[in-house]
Amino acid sequence: MSEQIPSLALILMSEDLEKLHAGSLVGSVASMSGMKVNVFVTMNALAPFHKKNFDEADFKYGVVGKEILAKKIPLFDHLLQEGKDFGEVNVYGCALAMDLMEWKKEDMIDVFDDVIGVTAFLGMTNNAQVITM
Amino acid sequence: MSQVEITKQLDARGTYCPGPLMELVKGIKRGQVGDVIELISDDKGSRVDIPEWVNKMGHEIANERLEGEDYYIAVRKVK
Repeated sequence: MSEQIPSLALILMSEDLEKLHAGSLVGSVASMSGMKVNVFVTMNALAPFHKKNFDEADFKYGVVGKEILAKKIPLFDHLLQEGKDFGEVNVYGCALAMDLMEWKKEDMIDVFDDVIGVTAFLGMTNNAQVITM
Repeated sequence: MSQVEITKQLDARGTYCPGPLMELVKGIKRGQVGDVIELISDDKGSRVDIPEWVNKMGHEIANERLEGEDYYIAVRKVK
């Protein structure tokens, strides 16, 4: 039996900037440490990934998020992209939430590999460690 | 300690976690086996996180030192 690559399933549900940042940071570092990372962006977490909201920096945040923005450190999009560039990170938008919002993949910032349903995501993340934010 | 020959030095001072690690990962990926990449970081988390990553990925710490707040770690690419 071939050895399975350790895999991380990261489910982003919240639109809180801190949760997006923490989740993307964990995913990015995990991918650079040899893990295969699949990210499922669903429910309110999709909103900050929408081009309009992202371009206007229309985010929901608390005290730490305020400093993240003030100090202009690289945001969740950059963390995910670095993970993609130097490791294996796949990012998927939730088909249900995208349909409800009438958003298409092109409406979102350019980190999404695809828009998929839960069944497909579960199929990809069999036996993975799961983190939900 | 014997002198370590540094192939490339990366200055990640002024960046926050995981910036310094990302710089090192890029440096290691772009380098050749046997290269020694030295990273400088003033992010305190680096002192714990970077050696952890180096050991996990099976590379080798060739040298490590602290100069004031600046942490220097030289990593030999093993594979």
